[in-house]
Amino acid sequence: MSGPVRPYVITGGRSRPSRNVLALESLVSTAPAAGLGDLPDLDADGTGLNREHLRILELCGELLSVAEIAAYLSLPLGVVKVLIGDLWDLGAVHVRPPVQQAERLPSTLLEEVLLGLRQLR
Amino acid sequence: MVSANFAEAARFADADFAEANFATADPAAAVPTRPEYLPSTVQGAVKILITGPFGVGKTTLVGSLSEIAPLRTEETMTAAGAGVDDLTGRPDKTTTTVALDFGRITLNPRLALYLFGTPGQQRFWPLWDDLSRGALGAIALVDARRIEESFDVLGRLEEQRIPFAIAVNSFPDSPSYPEEELRVALDLLPEVPILRCDARDRRAAYDLLIDFVSHLHSTSVLELPQ
Repeated sequence: MSGPVRPYVITGGRSRPSRNVLALESLVSTAPAAGLGDLPDLDADGTGLNREHLRILELCGELLSVAEIAAYLSLPLGVVKVLIGDLWDLGAVHVRPPVQQAERLPSTLLEEVLLGLRQLR
Repeated sequence: MVSANFAEAARFADADFAEANFATADPAAAVPTRPEYLPSTVQGAVKILITGPFGVGKTTLVGSLSEIAPLRTEETMTAAGAGVDDLTGRPDKTTTTVALDFGRITLNPRLALYLFGTPGQQRFWPLWDDLSRGALGAIALVDARRIEESFDVLGRLEEQRIPFAIAVNSFPDSPSYPEEELRVALDLLPEVPILRCDARDRRAAYDLLIDFVSHLHSTSVLELPQ
């Protein structure tokens, strides 16, 4: 596959990821054990991994957000979410969800943010 | 016209939505080739939205705060009758492309903060549910020379029930209205703070962000059950 393709060709026409919990700020890294040989190849009918899946695995050797992955690969956010969802289902990437205020006392999380900002100022 | 590829759609987005003081930069600079990774110790991220009308300085503010060069990404949005682009091949559905500029601050070895410049015009509201979910809050940048352009976004922030503050961005020829006059003109509730900043200045931008998070903190403490 070379040259530009329309974005949703890459996802096989899907506009929604298999999991709806990926946020722009969800953090993604390629699973260390995800040897590419263990993953399904791109099938003739396009149901396996395509070039863009592999670009994500290559890019995410270290930690990046969903938004950063979309920016570096010049793909729309919606497309990137679908592709990361595929890789997540296969166990090929680890995903760290956003920190929710509800998980901690909201004031504790905000105090941590404030402390960080004051130290960096 | 149907744009045949994403790069073309992205150029539309650049032309339409790039902030005035960012547009002089090479758009390619928004897609650096070498990724700047987060430390592997980071366990999760939070986000704050920077919103406001076109040209108010959202990307400038993101750039002053961010530890990485601001990145640009696009989201496609279904917009009935927008007539900009058609990625679905269905004549009854059209999509339009919205550019989001964003930056990042690693707050400590465990926690990162993302700052998303979010266009405030009414036609982008379909994106807001997704963008604002889980956000700590939003800073609404206002240009005192044209405050009426902020009415749309302030209405949306109130509807979205997202905590927000006003930040009046200083421009050389800005009129300096007293706070009360601005509050009346913007029809603000008393609990919405009006902050001031110079989005170009790193120190001023940090002071703004610190004031905003302090405000969120004082509000959250008040809301804790006794």
